[in-house]
Amino acid sequence: MSQPLLELRNLTTVFPTRRGLVRAVDGLDLTVREGEKLGIVGESGSGKSVTLLSILRLVPPPGRIVAGDVLFRGESLLAKSSSEMRRVRGRKIAMIFQDPMTTLNPVFRVGEQIRESLRIHGLVDGRGRARRRAEIERVIQVLNDVGIPYPEESLRRYPHEFSGGMQQRAIIAIALSCEPQLLLADEPTTALDVTIQAQILDLLERINRERGMGIILVTHNLGVVAEFCDTIAIMYAGQIMEKGATEEVTTEPLHPYTRGLLRCLPRIYGKREKIRPIPGLVPDLATLPPGCPFAPRCDVVRPECREDRRIPLKEVEPGRWVRCLLY
Amino acid sequence: MRAAKVLERVLITIPIMLGVAVMVFIFMRLTPGDPVDIMMGEMVGISDAEMEAMRREFNLDKPIHVQLWLFLTDVLRGDLGTSFVKRVPVAELILAHLPATIELAVGALFFGLAISIPIGILSAVKQYSILDRASMAGAFLGVSMPSFWLGLILILFFSVKLGVLPVQGRIDHDVGLQEVTGFYVLDSILTGNRAALVSALRHLVLPSVTLGATLAAIVARVLRSSLVEILRADYITLARAKGQVEFLVIMKHGVRNALIPTVTVVGLQVGALLGGNMVVETVFGWPGLGRLVVSAIFNRDFPLVQGAVMTYAFTYVIANLLVDVLYTYLNPKITL
Repeated sequence: MSQPLLELRNLTTVFPTRRGLVRAVDGLDLTVREGEKLGIVGESGSGKSVTLLSILRLVPPPGRIVAGDVLFRGESLLAKSSSEMRRVRGRKIAMIFQDPMTTLNPVFRVGEQIRESLRIHGLVDGRGRARRRAEIERVIQVLNDVGIPYPEESLRRYPHEFSGGMQQRAIIAIALSCEPQLLLADEPTTALDVTIQAQILDLLERINRERGMGIILVTHNLGVVAEFCDTIAIMYAGQIMEKGATEEVTTEPLHPYTRGLLRCLPRIYGKREKIRPIPGLVPDLATLPPGCPFAPRCDVVRPECREDRRIPLKEVEPGRWVRCLLY
Repeated sequence: MRAAKVLERVLITIPIMLGVAVMVFIFMRLTPGDPVDIMMGEMVGISDAEMEAMRREFNLDKPIHVQLWLFLTDVLRGDLGTSFVKRVPVAELILAHLPATIELAVGALFFGLAISIPIGILSAVKQYSILDRASMAGAFLGVSMPSFWLGLILILFFSVKLGVLPVQGRIDHDVGLQEVTGFYVLDSILTGNRAALVSALRHLVLPSVTLGATLAAIVARVLRSSLVEILRADYITLARAKGQVEFLVIMKHGVRNALIPTVTVVGLQVGALLGGNMVVETVFGWPGLGRLVVSAIFNRDFPLVQGAVMTYAFTYVIANLLVDVLYTYLNPKITL
């Protein structure tokens, strides 16, 4: 593996609310290498999606990034002007979303929405009609790449004429159209049927393999990540609790939260085990407990876990990090 | 396909207009007050025999169902009857007054949209800003102000106090406009009469503002609220994530979608602009259909009221049809 493609350093994104400042992303450190597939796993509200939006600097106001940095190939994205940032969005880093039904603009034809990306970044040379033809050719090619049948006809369809799986493919086509180096995938399979989920993951896998595109896959489904990602980061209350190579994390989880998540996975093969949910609820980010945010739900909690200090993320083995006082 | 459906919808207007006509026919005759009495009321020395003769002339001596039958058979032959009071064919009267009403409605529509669309968009984009709060308060005022009051205030300020705009009428009579279509703005352009164009536009300003104020207020509010919602949609985030400039994110992806509910409201309001302007036409002495129908109602001029109401029904249905057609262009999920 080579130089880092993306590096998040102490990234902190907050949302002011009536009940106080919510640190949706709280001092996040993450690295994605070229062609790496990183999975970020966590329950709803753990700050996964905000992390992705922070990378593109698209955090919806009043949310804002207050600390840290986002380095893309060593260049700070936070230091860029908004027009420079626009040249990164879609072109260098693309994003796909959770709910394909609401992510495509209902009033434009699918082909038009893919073509828009090409036009924004001026990727197709030529003038007038020749350029238009070249753009449409490129759209057909991308539609082909993502496995949309009859691309020539499909590009003239409106989003509502597509099934959910086809819509997600179209969104991936938009993302691929400008050949970005990094793809941010925000729960891309959550809204889809299981069989379609597998197809979409296969597609992403193939894109990663053939184009060497780095992927950050955000999901609450540990099973999806275990199957798909090289490395995995477990997020809780805006912080990373554990990260490391997927195999290690899933077979030998260190953090009690990771262990809890793994126990929630139903098994089809092997010994029948009762699913044991993690007790309690995701904490309210505006009123976090002192010390470890997971302490109230932890089954091995110790008194010092509740002391008012931030628990450091420790490298226990090379490439294996955990934020827990047990280690 | 689309043309066939449009034609179908146009043909449907015929039974609608007939239904409306029958209702108006019945209600006018239920209203107390006899047209001949009213017409003759101020004259002295009219004999009963003369009154009887007049009733016979208007078929008012016949039983109601016979009158209705006569009326409907005439209408189906394209004859709207003759005004009791003016003794002129109703169709002629309506055609003479309709251009003024349409011109005013277009003016009001133009003013209303020119004001409300930018305000609606800006308020949505700068939600909760001072601009947003001020314009929404203004919109609230716009909906609640009665138009006769607004009209009088505007006249008082711009015509009486500042003297910059005319008090009433459609045009100054010394500009020598030659009528072609009855739409004065259009006519003055067609005949190349610059003075008439200026005069016609100046006369249009205050009535258009008065009539368009409600439309502006309603459209601004609808556009704002739908755009606020849409700007939170995933496809807006996607547009930004594509690297699209913010202006186009809002105008292309946002406003284009927000127009769908807005057009519905505009369509309904256009009906109101054409059919609900009696007050404005009266305040500004605008020689349109509204004023004509008001006096016809007072005079119990049955044929004229019936004809005018049918015209209103027709314009209303056509306005709605236009909206529906426009809708199919705006919203790909909908076909006629």
